Amino acid sequence: MTRDEIKDVILEIIEDIDEDAEFDNLDADAPLRDQLDLDSMDFLDIVMELRKRYQLQIPEDEYPELASLTSCVNYLEPKLKDA
Amino acid sequence: MADYQLIIIGGGLSGIAAGIRSARFGLKTLLLEQHTIPGGLNSYYYRQGQMLETGLHAMTNYAQPGDKRAPLNRLFRQLKLSRKQFTTHEQYCSEIRFPDASLRFSNQPLLLEEEIRTSFPAAVDRFSRLKELVAAYDPFTPAPWRSARNFLAETLGEPLLEEMLLLPLMVYGNAEEHDMDLGQFVIMFRSIFMEGFFRPAGTIREFLSLLTNQYREFGGELRYRALVSEIVRSGDRIQGVRLAGGELISADAVLSTVGMPGTIALTGWDLPAKAYGGQMSFMETVSLVPWEVAAAIEPRRTILFYNTRPTLCYQRTDSFLDLSWGVICFPSNFVGVEAEPYAQIRNTNAANYALWKAAAPEEYRELKAAWTRAAVDNAGTVIGAYRQEVVYQDSFTPLTIERYTRKAEGAIYGSPLKIKDGTTPWPNLFIAGTDQGYLGIVGAMLSGVTVVNQHLLQ
Ligand SMILES: Cc1cc2nc3c(=O)[nH]c(=O)nc-3n(C[C@H](O)[C@H](O)[C@H](O)COP(=O)(O)OP(=O)(O)OC[C@H]3O[C@@H](n4cnc5c(N)ncnc54)[C@H](O)[C@@H]3O)c2cc1C
Repeated sequence: MTRDEIKDVILEIIEDIDEDAEFDNLDADAPLRDQLDLDSMDFLDIVMELRKRYQLQIPEDEYPELASLTSCVNYLEPKLKDA
Repeated sequence: MADYQLIIIGGGLSGIAAGIRSARFGLKTLLLEQHTIPGGLNSYYYRQGQMLETGLHAMTNYAQPGDKRAPLNRLFRQLKLSRKQFTTHEQYCSEIRFPDASLRFSNQPLLLEEEIRTSFPAAVDRFSRLKELVAAYDPFTPAPWRSARNFLAETLGEPLLEEMLLLPLMVYGNAEEHDMDLGQFVIMFRSIFMEGFFRPAGTIREFLSLLTNQYREFGGELRYRALVSEIVRSGDRIQGVRLAGGELISADAVLSTVGMPGTIALTGWDLPAKAYGGQMSFMETVSLVPWEVAAAIEPRRTILFYNTRPTLCYQRTDSFLDLSWGVICFPSNFVGVEAEPYAQIRNTNAANYALWKAAAPEEYRELKAAWTRAAVDNAGTVIGAYRQEVVYQDSFTPLTIERYTRKAEGAIYGSPLKIKDGTTPWPNLFIAGTDQGYLGIVGAMLSGVTVVNQHLLQ
């Protein structure tokens, strides 16, 4: 997957988790959590969706890698290069 | 390979919510319920062609759609249910009525503050301080038991007000007698006084269908008439469950929502079941009266919490029923509920399980009829007599509740000792629901969600 495709996947997962998600003013480098008002339970859902869709195992101590949209893409790019 | 990755025992609200979480993320899940319908303590049944709810006064934790941090909306996100498409009816206004004072509250927290300003002017600043402390407290990180009564006395120093605030919070969510844990007090205070009461549109049946459909949509399997008779151990692990018919079903993990006494019996767990027996049980009477009659008594009150004494005796009574305090609920008095030919009046009083249990069958029937009449007449002294208007009536004693849900001693809020982290001596057996500690409809669902998130998804 390309970086843009990964970004779209993340946004699609978030939209799927949260029917109120608004991406209009999203800053890709700022924490998703504060901007979208998500909590740790929602973050678990992002992780679980990635596991379900791409059989990706993300260990708990690596969850911080998913903090912003850019850090998500950086973290997932090598893992999803063949997906 | 085991037959299932997860078996959940109990199709009550905690079990179904847990099932939605595990099925949603692909665990092969089986939910086992002894009855032919879901819901457990909050279910429904048919009498003379009429559907009646067993429990539902109100759901707690009201929140507008879009308020993302609110517990109700977080719960909906976790279950992947649309909050926007979920129609709710908010309460009009509820009331705490004591001999010398009354306090109204609604889903606008300011109403309660204004009421306190009027009735307890000297305490209003301290009440604001109490709200700040409640907002700042973290009730979800395990902490040693702390007395809510002492906390209230220190913060408010207004005994009558303290008793009044405790009544709704205890009767809707306290498994202990006399006092409650501060963490549980904070949870209940927020869910009732800061968030508030509502009903889902329709009845509990539609709400339960919404949940079971979601569970099945995600591929979860649900078996009714499936009474678990044993949680099968093998060495230091759980192998699966055995059904009353003898069938053995294996699983990688088992989640029990049947309470601690039930789980102790099913596993042969070396614990004194008695210590986990609940002390607080209740009798509930549902009366159907013509709609206009209900509308004329206590118009626009949703739930009335009354006490005939200045202090609250939240304890197991030594009589069949304690008529000195109780709850009267008008399920039709929620905003936007459409008029029907008949409306319900539900009244609840604390009851003594042991006395009901000791009665012989014939005597039990007579006692039930007599105490139903006494309870309705007693409620009539609070809201005006209505016994003559009743067209249909049914009551549940602690025995009814025990027989139907297997909750030991009919204790709706379960054990006074809670298993907050949901774990057991077996690494693949977990506890959710009432005896994990979150109570009520929203609480039970959050319990199922939390335990699956913590122990089965990560
Ligand atoms: C009369 C009444 C009124 C209430 N009103 C309200 C209200 O207005 N608002 C509110 O928020 N809460 C209310 N509650 C409380 C609320 O209903 C409960 O807190 C909640 O439903 C508990 O859910 P649970 O899943 O923990 O337990 P349960 O509902 O007890 O679920 C356990 C399930 O396990 C099944 N089971 C037990 N043993 C076995 C076995 N061996 N094999 C298979 N299945 C088994 C039972 O049949 C049951 O379905 C009320 C309760 C009662 C009784």
